[in-house]
Amino acid sequence: MGMLNLVLGNISRKPATRLYPFEVRAPFKEFKGRIVFNPDNCILCGLCQKKCPPDAITVIKADKTWELNVFRCIMCTECVNGCPKDCISISNERAKTGAKEFIKVAVPIVDKPKAETPKADTTKAPKAAPSK
Amino acid sequence: MTTVIPFGPQHPVLPEPVSLKLEIDNDVVVGVLPSLGYVHRGLEKFIDTKDFNQTMYICERICGICSGIHGITYSRAVEKLFDIEVPERAQYLRVINSELCRIHSHLLWLGLFADGFGFESLFYECWKYREDVLDVLERFTGNRVIHSMSKVGGASRDLTKEQIDQILKTLDDLEPKVKNIEKVFVNNYTVKKRLVGLGVMSKQLAYEAGTAGPTLRGSGNAIDVRNTSDYDIYKDLGFKTAVAKEGDCYGRTKVRIDEIYEAIKLIRNAISKLPEGEIATRVKGFPTGEAIIRAEQPRGEVVYYVKGNGTKNLERLKVRTPTFANIPSLLLMLPGVKLADVPIVVLTIDPCISCTER
Repeated sequence: MGMLNLVLGNISRKPATRLYPFEVRAPFKEFKGRIVFNPDNCILCGLCQKKCPPDAITVIKADKTWELNVFRCIMCTECVNGCPKDCISISNERAKTGAKEFIKVAVPIVDKPKAETPKADTTKAPKAAPSK
Repeated sequence: MTTVIPFGPQHPVLPEPVSLKLEIDNDVVVGVLPSLGYVHRGLEKFIDTKDFNQTMYICERICGICSGIHGITYSRAVEKLFDIEVPERAQYLRVINSELCRIHSHLLWLGLFADGFGFESLFYECWKYREDVLDVLERFTGNRVIHSMSKVGGASRDLTKEQIDQILKTLDDLEPKVKNIEKVFVNNYTVKKRLVGLGVMSKQLAYEAGTAGPTLRGSGNAIDVRNTSDYDIYKDLGFKTAVAKEGDCYGRTKVRIDEIYEAIKLIRNAISKLPEGEIATRVKGFPTGEAIIRAEQPRGEVVYYVKGNGTKNLERLKVRTPTFANIPSLLLMLPGVKLADVPIVVLTIDPCISCTER
């Protein structure tokens, strides 16, 4: 008889499902939606690339770029926990449908090599370009 | 005269790609020949290319339903290689995650099973309740199915006060709902007609065939790895192994429903005793030596064997999943069963072929 009560009860209740495209549930704030990269503090150390299980992150030191393959990313947050400069964070917003496969970010790395020697090199490089 | 009828790997009732060659005399099965290997992915070899921390994510992908427990068991195996003690809070978090996994897996199975014997509205009912558990898991771990909560050395996600309240509230709501569907599974005349006395396996036979999990306990053997081995902190939480004496499809269903209640109790106990402190210890160096770890999954006992050779990659990973232990029991249960009842009997071992073939 238990089932009959359930069925009769369900007639008067709202449906358990949502009319999806018109009615979207807000994502939980703990949800791992997508990776957000803030390039300001990045030192191009490449730890995120080394830790990434599906090899979704590529750090190219020569071009000073940080690249994420969104289709490969599995939202494990290894890069988020492993970043020494806390550049990578996770947002609870889902990646949009039809998003591009790659997110490429140029890293404005200028201050970091100051402590060593190549400061002179970085200043020389732009000078050399206009002279040509 | 007997005829051989292929059952699977594609079958409308069974989503799992298991193939059974059924030898049939009139309408009754007289012989069974299972064959596997349709969804082999080579995950055990794949770990060669990943380091031991990253392997956890591969292990989670062995199974889509008990992914959390696969990850936790792998972490425990590597921790045994390192011989490190996991913080107590992490152990409690792992128990909470495992038991939530068990609840959602059993609700999923009950739904599929109801669908298997043609009770559609019961199927929807079960999956509706499962959705609440998945919401809780999503808030706890950040993902619905692949949780990535565990890591070598502890847990990577902590529970906040707000999340704990959410879990307790969901469990309070869930318990009466499960009681409602339990009435249908246990007392309904039509359901009993389909299940009682079907696919019977005696206590001794189930033990000798080496079955695991609810298939073993449904035949009256009170064997549960959570009670028999030193497995996280299950001993402190005090729980009862769910057993049914029947040994048929009805008994195995009852065991799974009872396990939902036990899991709810375990989570409540674990939350009430949840200690404060760190959730992970730092792991230094690379694993060496061998280790074997057993754990109780919703489907039964899983065995992890890991071997490290002092490099960042493991030398060998071997997983024995519960379905692999349960498939031979089909050879004992199916003879004598009518062809129309075969899907139900196969469903009661809760086959997970992706697990088995990895």
